[in-house]
Amino acid sequence: MIMTHPGLPFYWQVIIVVFMLLVSVRAMLVPPPSKARHYGWPLEQVPLVGLLVKFLNRSPWPLLFIKIVMVAVFLTVIIAGLNGTPVPERNLATVLTWNLWWAGLVVAIFFLGSAWCAICPWDALATWLVRMRMWGRGRLNNSLNLKVPKWLRSVWPALLMFMALTWFELGVGVTLDPYATALLSLVMVVMATVSLALFEDKAFCHYFCPVGRTVGYYSQLAPVALRPVDPAVCAKCTTLECYHGSENVEPCPTHLVMGTLKENTFCTSCGNCVQSCPDSNVSWHLRPQTVEVKQDARPNWDDAWFMLGLLTLTSFHGITMLPFWYDGMSEFGVWLGDSGRLLLSFSLGMLLIMFAPIAVYALLVYWAQRWTGKSVRYRQAFSVLAFAMLPLAFSYHIAHNLNHLVRESHDLLALFINPLGTDTQPLSMMEKHERHLQMYISQDTLFLLQGGLMLFGFWMAIEVIRYRGYALYSDRKFWVLPIIVFAILIHGFDLWMMAQPMTMRM
Amino acid sequence: MVIRNLLLILICLSTTTVFGHHVLGRPAYSLSDDSNTPPSMQVETQIGDFYVTYMAFPAFPQPGQQGRLNLYATHRDTGKPFDGQVSFVIKDDKWFGGHQEALGTQPIDDGVYRQGFLVNNAGDYIISASFSSNGEPYKIDFPLRIGQVSGIGPIGIALIIIVVALVLVNVLQRKRLLRGKIQAAHRDAP
Repeated sequence: MIMTHPGLPFYWQVIIVVFMLLVSVRAMLVPPPSKARHYGWPLEQVPLVGLLVKFLNRSPWPLLFIKIVMVAVFLTVIIAGLNGTPVPERNLATVLTWNLWWAGLVVAIFFLGSAWCAICPWDALATWLVRMRMWGRGRLNNSLNLKVPKWLRSVWPALLMFMALTWFELGVGVTLDPYATALLSLVMVVMATVSLALFEDKAFCHYFCPVGRTVGYYSQLAPVALRPVDPAVCAKCTTLECYHGSENVEPCPTHLVMGTLKENTFCTSCGNCVQSCPDSNVSWHLRPQTVEVKQDARPNWDDAWFMLGLLTLTSFHGITMLPFWYDGMSEFGVWLGDSGRLLLSFSLGMLLIMFAPIAVYALLVYWAQRWTGKSVRYRQAFSVLAFAMLPLAFSYHIAHNLNHLVRESHDLLALFINPLGTDTQPLSMMEKHERHLQMYISQDTLFLLQGGLMLFGFWMAIEVIRYRGYALYSDRKFWVLPIIVFAILIHGFDLWMMAQPMTMRM
Repeated sequence: MVIRNLLLILICLSTTTVFGHHVLGRPAYSLSDDSNTPPSMQVETQIGDFYVTYMAFPAFPQPGQQGRLNLYATHRDTGKPFDGQVSFVIKDDKWFGGHQEALGTQPIDDGVYRQGFLVNNAGDYIISASFSSNGEPYKIDFPLRIGQVSGIGPIGIALIIIVVALVLVNVLQRKRLLRGKIQAAHRDAP
């Protein structure tokens, strides 16, 4: 029997649709201000939170301690996955990896930006193994420090890895297989370690890691970021410790200079710049969530594809959890003559669902271009307007994941006490029903959060279209229409999915 | 004595009817159902004109332990059970190569296709059930895990790859540094 979670109520659907129409009409009629305002507050000055930030900034030890805890949990996940029960809901590996971490990660970005990358156990293990130090500048002997080949210096590898991860997750069913979950974790550690041993800096985090890039792009929308306390100090700096590192601190793993840093995409929040700056001029800042994606982030062809990939694969996740997905796949499998595992049908379905919306987007950008007399190069328009897709993907992703987090992440204490699930039985129907009813927050609160996120995401997307589009085609009045149509189509589809019952994962 | 009889009557009255789905004369429980017997693994799928349900008993068979597969195939529109023959094959669940062995071909027996199996080696396997209806071939693959798959293997392989990579890199880097020193010494020599 398939258990499902209820979808967003009708009144929320009406509110969101009306809001989408109003905001869209406004975007076509009211041009934006010429520049988005920059303002921010150093988190160190915020009461209570400031104390925590100061504590974290003061020395590397708090971060190292958290890394050690994360690595210990990660190794437990691997051991539980390889040696524990194959029952997914009783094994720490599957529940922690897919129900808590993978679902919670996107929610965490909303508050903490790319902070996850700073405590990532894959990178921590790789760094300790290659640098042979837990903290500080490591020995050069253990890495060839090769430059990453030019053809790999983009986020295309990360996009392919993200597609592969989705395929394993939803097609092969790794989420329900503790053993495969552990294998996947091991493969990531091996890749991170080999990459660090071969290439200079953190090439794996920069170009290859699907999770790191997802975190990176989404954290463009985060309210916190590492930035200079006083930009004037950075402007006068000639030694650039944030970039080169210092005697004891490693250089920036992704080649960023704090004085010119305007986007979070490649910042891994490792804190090296905080530790190495001789003027203590780097710290966490609170900032408006839209300014980077509206104005500061630089458009690139590969970045645009990754953001569009995030958008479509996020929706694809939702589609696979609709109750009728499996029947549809079966029909498709029959038509293809696929076997019972439906891997071919799934793969083709995934590619179709991923690339069909991108093709529509490409056509609508072309339409916008034609409309404006091709005053802008097609690639540029494609890359710039893709930023508008980021808030749509992010808001739907969090709203969807909240269901997993609030309704499915139960019995964690029992799982930590018995991570291998020794002598446990699969969940009975009664236990499943109990879980279904025991939510961390009330259902109305969950709907409020999900509805609010869908409103916020669409508003942000339209703001991006206004700012970015106006900067592209300032002399045309209705240049935004094709992209707004696309945003309405995508968000409308995501809203429709949110309104459907969602299949419980485990 | 009176109290005992009263208690017996009370227990009898409070007992509700228990419904069980019976296969082969014994209750069969899927993974999701309450049971005091070992659970079975149940998979449901739809292929072509048929709904197919497959059950493996026990859910997690051990090497050398006799197991059994039950397969039900009913027509999607009419609800009638498929009544031809179903062939079962077991193969290693590997990306490349892998051993394959026929388990048998079974006729329908009271609406069910029953196939016994006994596997001596722990590992992940695929059971393929094949039949044809109206000239159309049907093939359904189901995963089956036998015993506890060793956890040392993957960790060992990961460790070997990492150690080999690190040693190679270290050796190459040392040679590179040494070469640099020698070249510098030659340049500085009068």
